[in-house]
Amino acid sequence: MDLGYTYSQAVAEASRCLLCHEPPCSAGCPANTNPGKFIRQLRMRNLKGAIATMYCNNILAASCGVLCPTCTLCASGCTAQGLDRPIDIGGLQRFLAEHSWEIGFRPIQAAAPNGQKVAIVGSGPAGLMCAAELAQRGFSVTLFERLEKPGGVLRHLLPEHRLSAVFFDREVKMLADLGVEFKCNQTIDGRAGLDELLAQGYGAVYLATGAWEAVRLDLPGADAGGIQGAMGFLARSKREPQVVKAEVKDKQVAVIGGGDTAMDVAVTAQRFGARDVYVLYRRSYAQMPGNPEEKLEVMQEGIHFVMLTQPLGYTSENGRVNGVKVLRTRLGDPDFGGRRRPEAIPGTEHVLPADVVVEAVGLKPGKGLKGFDGLKVDASGRVVVSEAGETDIANVFAGGDAVRGAALISHAIGDGARAGRAIADALLGGE
Amino acid sequence: MPVTKDLSVEMCGVRFPNPICLSSSPVSNTGEMVGRAFDAGFGGVAFKTIGKGDIKIIHPAPRMAGYDYGNKKLVGLQNVEQISDRPLDHNLRDIRYLKKNWPEHVVIASIMGFSNDEWRELAIACQDAGADMLELNFSCPHMTVEGSGMKVGQAFDLVEKFSATVKAAVTIPVLAKMTPNVTDITEPALSAKMGGADGLAAINTVLGLTGVDMKNFIPSPNVGGMGAYSGYSGPAVKPIGLRCVAQMAQHPDLGLPISGMGGIETWIDAVEYLLVGSTTLQITSGVIHYGYRMVEDILEGISYFMEDHGFDHISDFVGKALPNVVSTDHFDLGRQGIAQYDLDRCIGCGQCHVVCQDAGGQCLTWNSATRRPVMDESRCLACMICSFVCPVSKPPMITYKEVPGKPEVMPPPSL
Ligand SMILES: Cc1cc2nc3c(=O)[nH]c(=O)nc-3n(C[C@H](O)[C@H](O)[C@H](O)COP(=O)(O)OP(=O)(O)OC[C@H]3O[C@@H](n4cnc5c(N)ncnc54)[C@H](O)[C@@H]3O)c2cc1C
Ligand SMILES: Cc1cc2nc3c(=O)[nH]c(=O)nc-3n(C[C@H](O)[C@H](O)[C@H](O)COP(=O)(O)O)c2cc1C
Repeated sequence: MDLGYTYSQAVAEASRCLLCHEPPCSAGCPANTNPGKFIRQLRMRNLKGAIATMYCNNILAASCGVLCPTCTLCASGCTAQGLDRPIDIGGLQRFLAEHSWEIGFRPIQAAAPNGQKVAIVGSGPAGLMCAAELAQRGFSVTLFERLEKPGGVLRHLLPEHRLSAVFFDREVKMLADLGVEFKCNQTIDGRAGLDELLAQGYGAVYLATGAWEAVRLDLPGADAGGIQGAMGFLARSKREPQVVKAEVKDKQVAVIGGGDTAMDVAVTAQRFGARDVYVLYRRSYAQMPGNPEEKLEVMQEGIHFVMLTQPLGYTSENGRVNGVKVLRTRLGDPDFGGRRRPEAIPGTEHVLPADVVVEAVGLKPGKGLKGFDGLKVDASGRVVVSEAGETDIANVFAGGDAVRGAALISHAIGDGARAGRAIADALLGGE
Repeated sequence: MPVTKDLSVEMCGVRFPNPICLSSSPVSNTGEMVGRAFDAGFGGVAFKTIGKGDIKIIHPAPRMAGYDYGNKKLVGLQNVEQISDRPLDHNLRDIRYLKKNWPEHVVIASIMGFSNDEWRELAIACQDAGADMLELNFSCPHMTVEGSGMKVGQAFDLVEKFSATVKAAVTIPVLAKMTPNVTDITEPALSAKMGGADGLAAINTVLGLTGVDMKNFIPSPNVGGMGAYSGYSGPAVKPIGLRCVAQMAQHPDLGLPISGMGGIETWIDAVEYLLVGSTTLQITSGVIHYGYRMVEDILEGISYFMEDHGFDHISDFVGKALPNVVSTDHFDLGRQGIAQYDLDRCIGCGQCHVVCQDAGGQCLTWNSATRRPVMDESRCLACMICSFVCPVSKPPMITYKEVPGKPEVMPPPSL
């Protein structure tokens, strides 16, 4: 992670803000963060007020400051673009958070206990935000996490260069300060596990299990060694970086896909010492989903973007992959999503040599929800919920990627907050 | 919510929910506007100066000009606005409206008479309308009506006379609003006290001339081809306002509570004015720049400041800086020092070297290879101008360091 703003840089950037009436930035955040207000507060040297404004809606304000694709969210409507460039809202948000850690300021507090318990399954952004919302309303909250540490994607998948563990620890500490209890290495195992929680006196359960199952391409030859899904690759890169480094060092790595996950895989492989990293994508650069700023940075890292290229299968030798069979495409008419559809160009088949292949073509809730009988899910395995986040099972709520499929941190934060309020209303309303 | 402290204050026996008030100006021009300011968080208002109406008031057009510095807008504000042009009756109705709907908030009626009788009649009318206090405008520097405003404030006997007239007519507390455009602001302040004033308000605008147009040589604001010496306000005048308030607060024979103003924008400005002896505060230019919403950050900031310092009431720190404000003959000249450089953070612009050569003690030489200044501490005047131009701030890269026993430094003769 590069360094954030110093105080004077932050003040200089904040003084570019036009202090808009009805600030568009504040209307652009799925997590309801209020930049229009916190930037004004920073500008008026009310730093603590700014920090409080930021954290009251978003318990991961610092991480969001670093990771949000602001150019498509808050900053997309920034009126400063009418003069030159948008305000670096993410940078200011990160500065305020780091400043609060530096001065030891605690912007939010737990309320006096109301005697009720809530269980949260999964400690990604959605679960953490729901926990913060409930703790501030006096609930005793327990977070159950399958893995050894809390944080979901941010802890276990995002490469260190995107979000450092030390940085993230400081932010998650705020939840411990709110009295939230973390139970890690505890999988809530299907419907039985859920019912057990309800039987233990938890008034409600929030399912925030994320979308951790990598979609696989199912191409011929995929059983060769060295071919893997993105989630496994990223998780192993964080858990056992030395092993993955040894696997990719001086190798040709092919990453299939064009989204944020593909970008993270590609940069990780490159930084781990791969000789060449190819991103194979069947449409072109403009159609690649994901954060436009990040795409540029990744290209500048020296990753090869091989566009208009459709994988057909794998070649191998002695059971290990040694190439991706590909075909050139051209762009046809837009599909139902509005992006131009790739069309195969016959006769262009060829093999791109590769020693390691990572398929990064999509994520779905799958795994985390295995065995939750009675939970209504849609065709892609996403939990179906009401506006307030209620599932079909009484007192069970859900949100984040488990409901949306692969989305953004800010969406998960917004969901967590909404569910926290809905749970509080449901549990306190009856009294 | 963020304001956790009790910010209420008392001035001349009147309780303010918080010390931040609108000052008398366009920001306090109508009841509807002031009501919104109260809802936004202001604790009181000095309503736009009310006149009797016998002499018709017409505002020059345009009535203001902004003063920018570099890319900073509105560092200062120049205005030629007159007192209220509204009928007396409308202003009195607005005072009633405010006291009816916001009884806890303080309404100070600012008045200006053009004769002794007018002062009396206005004072009584405003008291009858429900004003909590009066503020006597002895200080508008650009009245088109001859012999009024600042002209009164500069004629100390008139300050005393009109103060006495008003005091004899009403029972509510009376503040005298002072002009900084005098040699020593405590003199007219003493006259106001002699006349019976219960408190002081300062500063009104500083007489200024903001600039001259390069094409037609007309000063701004350009009022039909002419400009005038007129009222300058905003952040640029804060040092003058702080000085005036401190001088009045320190004067041994005055002892009157002060409503301080001049360039307040942030909670830091507000706290500074309180530390030099203001009991309440007033704002115009800041609102002209940011709108009423600015008050929220001032109140929050003061509350956080009080938490940090363990103050429970604003009165705990009013005037706390005054013992540290002295005349220069009290300085200990035996204590000398140097400018200390944290060169690890230097980015190599060399501005320090330029100004040290041309305006300082020539103690810095410049290493072109490393692009860093090299200091000869024995020649440093500790004038600190290098730190003023150094772009590496917060925390500053160049700081003053006292050096015990260091002799004072003088440049040698050139030949
Ligand atoms: C590689 C990658 C990069 C991304 N980059 C960005 C980005 O730059 N910006 C952005 O805004 N978004 C990004 N996203 C998306 C973002 O991370 C997700 O939208 C967000 O993390 C979803 O939050 P969540 O709380 O729903 O789930 P997750 O963060 O996925 O957390 C779910 C947690 O639940 C736990 N869990 C699952 N099942 C169980 C169970 N049965 N019992 C106990 N615990 C369980 C999991 O171990 C996990 O810790 C990225 C996603 C990926 C995969
Ligand atoms: C446009 C304008 C009109 C003003 N009118 C009045 C007035 O009618 N009566 C008065 O006492 N002061 C008047 N003032 C002075 C302000 O009340 C205040 O004393 C001064 O502007 C300094 O405070 P500030 O720097 O916060 O603006 C006026 C100031 C401005 C800018």
